[in-house]
Amino acid sequence: MSSANRSLKRAPGAYVFYIAGVILLGIVVAAFVVSLFWTPFDPNATNAGAKFIKPCLEHPFGTDNFGRDLLSRVMSASKYTIYISVAGVAIALILGTIAGIPAGYFGGYTDKGIMLLGNSIMCFPGILLALVAVAVFGASVTNVIWALGLVFAPTFARVCRLGTMEIKELDYITHARVMGVKPARIMTLHIFPNLVSQLLPATVIGLANMTLFESGMSYLGLGVQPPDASFGKLLSDAQAYFRVAPWLVIFPAMMLVFYILGLYFISEGLRVSLSKGGK
Amino acid sequence: MPRHIHIVKVHHLTLSFPTAKNPNPKPVLDDVDFGIRDGEILGLIGNSGSGKTMTSLAIAGLLPESANIDSGSIKFAGKSLLDMNPKERRRMLGKDIGMIFQEPSTALDPLMTCGKQLEEVLTAHKESVMEPEERHKAITDMLQTVGFTNAEEICSRYPHQLSGGQRQRVLIAGAALLKPRLLICDEPTSSLDTVTTVSILGLLKELCHQLHMTILFISHDLSAVRGFCDRVMVMKDGKIVDKDTTSDILNNPKNSYTAELLTNARLDTRILGLTPAPVDYESSPVLSAKDITAGYGRSLFERVKKKNGSTESDTKVLHEVSLKVYPNEILGLIGGSGSGKTTLIRSLLGLLPHSGTVNITSTRVGAIFQDPVSCLNPAHTIKWHLNEALRASGKAKEIKGDGTFDEKRARTLEWITGALEACGLGAEYLSRRPNELSGGQRQRVAIAMCLIQEPSLIIADEPFSSLDASSSAELLKLMTTINRERNTAFLLITHNIHIVRQICPRVVVMSNGRICEEGNTEDVLNDPKSEATSALLEAERKLHGI
Repeated sequence: MSSANRSLKRAPGAYVFYIAGVILLGIVVAAFVVSLFWTPFDPNATNAGAKFIKPCLEHPFGTDNFGRDLLSRVMSASKYTIYISVAGVAIALILGTIAGIPAGYFGGYTDKGIMLLGNSIMCFPGILLALVAVAVFGASVTNVIWALGLVFAPTFARVCRLGTMEIKELDYITHARVMGVKPARIMTLHIFPNLVSQLLPATVIGLANMTLFESGMSYLGLGVQPPDASFGKLLSDAQAYFRVAPWLVIFPAMMLVFYILGLYFISEGLRVSLSKGGK
Repeated sequence: MPRHIHIVKVHHLTLSFPTAKNPNPKPVLDDVDFGIRDGEILGLIGNSGSGKTMTSLAIAGLLPESANIDSGSIKFAGKSLLDMNPKERRRMLGKDIGMIFQEPSTALDPLMTCGKQLEEVLTAHKESVMEPEERHKAITDMLQTVGFTNAEEICSRYPHQLSGGQRQRVLIAGAALLKPRLLICDEPTSSLDTVTTVSILGLLKELCHQLHMTILFISHDLSAVRGFCDRVMVMKDGKIVDKDTTSDILNNPKNSYTAELLTNARLDTRILGLTPAPVDYESSPVLSAKDITAGYGRSLFERVKKKNGSTESDTKVLHEVSLKVYPNEILGLIGGSGSGKTTLIRSLLGLLPHSGTVNITSTRVGAIFQDPVSCLNPAHTIKWHLNEALRASGKAKEIKGDGTFDEKRARTLEWITGALEACGLGAEYLSRRPNELSGGQRQRVAIAMCLIQEPSLIIADEPFSSLDASSSAELLKLMTTINRERNTAFLLITHNIHIVRQICPRVVVMSNGRICEEGNTEDVLNDPKSEATSALLEAERKLHGI
């Protein structure tokens, strides 16, 4: 009879997602933070006498074809993966917000122009555009970040545009216009704070997608350059030895799955709790 | 189904919303005990937050998930509703219990034609297996019953092609299609104008007799209850404080709270002190608009369709409207739905492109809108809103003056607190967010934001329509006080002629995008010259019994 008991049982839904997300993401972030100060071995130091050692106490993740300690390499790879995804999303978020809010607010030709640009970027496969950009400007971590940021910006622009179109019709925006508040201020202080609840899950999903893109690019040899590595680069290097040394694939792939799954769980948690709060 | 004396019997129902932090909160419904007699129209009145809607949702089985029924029972035709499983209850909805909601604009799916939506009602209940032709006939018959002469056409129309009143009729048709025994109407007329309200109430009463329905009518508008309901219950803080026949409740209230509600609804100028400032019609007007013509752009589809022959590119809503508002004046602007009132004020405020001239002597014009939910930004505190108004007014520097940062901040705070206090809200509201305030309080904050700008004119677009009688009375009192003490003129758009009669010395009546009558309120309302005014007055007479 009591429907409250039912809902209280269901309420931890968001918490379950958060806890799972934080645990999975925590593993990768912990590896990243520790790698800044300490790794068991030098991640790039080769050792001809220690090739393809199976996971053991000295090398918990084993060693690769150059005798490099895989645990150290995975820890250092997490640094690049996190750095590229966070910086790329930041660029996409800033560009997308700057373009999307005015498009939604002003409408008309501003909207048409901005959306035409965004749609032109979106009509090509993202990975292809990023590959072309990196091929033209050179393969470096900075170029990868900018390329991914540009490819992802239209997605954020669309989220912002739609949200703005909805919010600008509300009375408090009309009221601000009647008071004589300038459009720039309306967009930044009146509209943007109300878009945060929509942008937050989009950002977390964007982080996960960007990691996958980066892994794809590194896998094709256009991302992080040797001897440094990201998760995608480690996987690409390992594929030739999959039969003799499967641990070379298993551990980087596991970390990649942890990172992406962790982000998805957090975004799901955000979605659940934000939609509940919005009711 | 056998007939019972009471079709619904709510027995000592207590309902609350427990949370993890507060497992034993104050009940939203506290020991509510009543019965709805078969075939009667029962009115349920009370202020916002008194538990009217929760009572109806409990009967319909549509309570939010977080609600907890602490004790009591609800019986429908002898069967206990709370013991039924969700599937059984869902089957009852529509078939035995129909419901009509407050907002007809959002209750219909914008992507489905009206005919399709009504068909959904029939197909959702599998026991009423019908051929498509039979369904269509049942739908057109019902649309005719609810007063559409062009039922076939209405079937093929989308909700946005209908007016508010027409949409409400479609919703009523949907609710009555399965001939439910109980129809719950949750404020079905509060967003409609007087003429439409009267016709909708008439329709409901007719349906009640034709289909032998019982109606639970929830409203904060006491005039809608008068002449419509057989019995009335008054709710306050989740309790039923008074119940009796309609005439006894409205004419001889025994409970002090009912009496207070009635006083507020009557808006008695002597009791509430609603005396507007004297107006000097010789002085130059604060707002003068001349030959305003405005409209909305046609959709691409319509433009293509009208390409041959018609050179007209826009749908004209306003046709050469001229208007003057004098200093200190509260000018009433009345008219039915779709008469162009809102388009006019949007043009006056410069929010809509228009031809013609608008002259406003003051640099600042304040505005209050209809919907108290969306009038404040949910992302910010009340203090931020007031600061923003101060900043936009361009007087922030002047008020801050010289001195240290703390001194400037203290002066600003004093100024905004003063404006808030003038609107009857204390300094403790500054740190609150809009969702922590009631509808009336939000409208007060909106007025405080206007006051900070010290406008010579405030345009108020139906500020009372979403508020209950007590909040309306308080808001009205505040408006007249501001008018008297600060010499602020008001352009008051409303569909409540009673309010216009009480506080507006002059009134303008709009119909079909034109001003059809204007002049001294008493002259216009006592001796209407135009058809539109007569129709509005006739509807008001029927509704208020005046």
